[in-house]
Amino acid sequence: MPGWKSLFPVDLAEEGRLSRREFARFLALVSAGFTGGIAYLALRRKPLAGAPDPTAAAPAALQVCRVADLAPGNSFLFSYRDPQDRCILIHTPKGEWRAYRQACTHLGCAVRWDGRRLECPCHNGAFEVEQGFPLEGPPTRPLSRLNVELRPDGWAWILGDLPKPAEAL
Amino acid sequence: MKPAGSSQLTGAALAVVLMVVLVQAYLFETVLEAVLDGQRRQLPGALVVSALLSAVALFLAFRVQHGSRIPAGDTEKASTLDRRD
Repeated sequence: MPGWKSLFPVDLAEEGRLSRREFARFLALVSAGFTGGIAYLALRRKPLAGAPDPTAAAPAALQVCRVADLAPGNSFLFSYRDPQDRCILIHTPKGEWRAYRQACTHLGCAVRWDGRRLECPCHNGAFEVEQGFPLEGPPTRPLSRLNVELRPDGWAWILGDLPKPAEAL
Repeated sequence: MKPAGSSQLTGAALAVVLMVVLVQAYLFETVLEAVLDGQRRQLPGALVVSALLSAVALFLAFRVQHGSRIPAGDTEKASTLDRRD
């Protein structure tokens, strides 16, 4: 027998054994942990890190970028309500203009424009560009859409939030 | 040695606890999605459901059943039985 075994006489097969009740207790405590997490989310007043603050005052109109600087098929990133409220302005290949919050409706990762649709790299979610509806992956709700206006001064302006399609019904 | 008053957990009870944890994981992910999306309306309802599920799981896992007490002086046999609990 190696010397270290006499110093640490632990039978791993026995020590690693977990009874059914111990396993159930572990699972029950995990369940209680989930409840604690939901209670924390319910009691927390401040938005989570990286999430936009819904109570923050939105500017009445925000000048974003020059229309001539964004060719069809390209996008432009900007912040709207606060520095955490990251948004994306898209000039679609069809020539239409769309603006969305970048926060994926699954777990808040930033979506990016791939020239055809909006993709979330975290869990391979995808959204169509017309109204922000989910196409693939875990997201189930459409992206938050912003109102874009092209003004005669040659700039694209953001004029506030648009209601989500499901809420507009 | 098995403490007096505790007893074996049935497979059905374990399955219920397992199901509760799976539902809780799904519920938590759904709630987190909604909060990150700025929607907090479903939080109170989700909290009540989650608390009820946790109460069921904790009751099943930690309840002390009476009726399978270990006879005094039979501790060696009991310690062998412990491993099958």
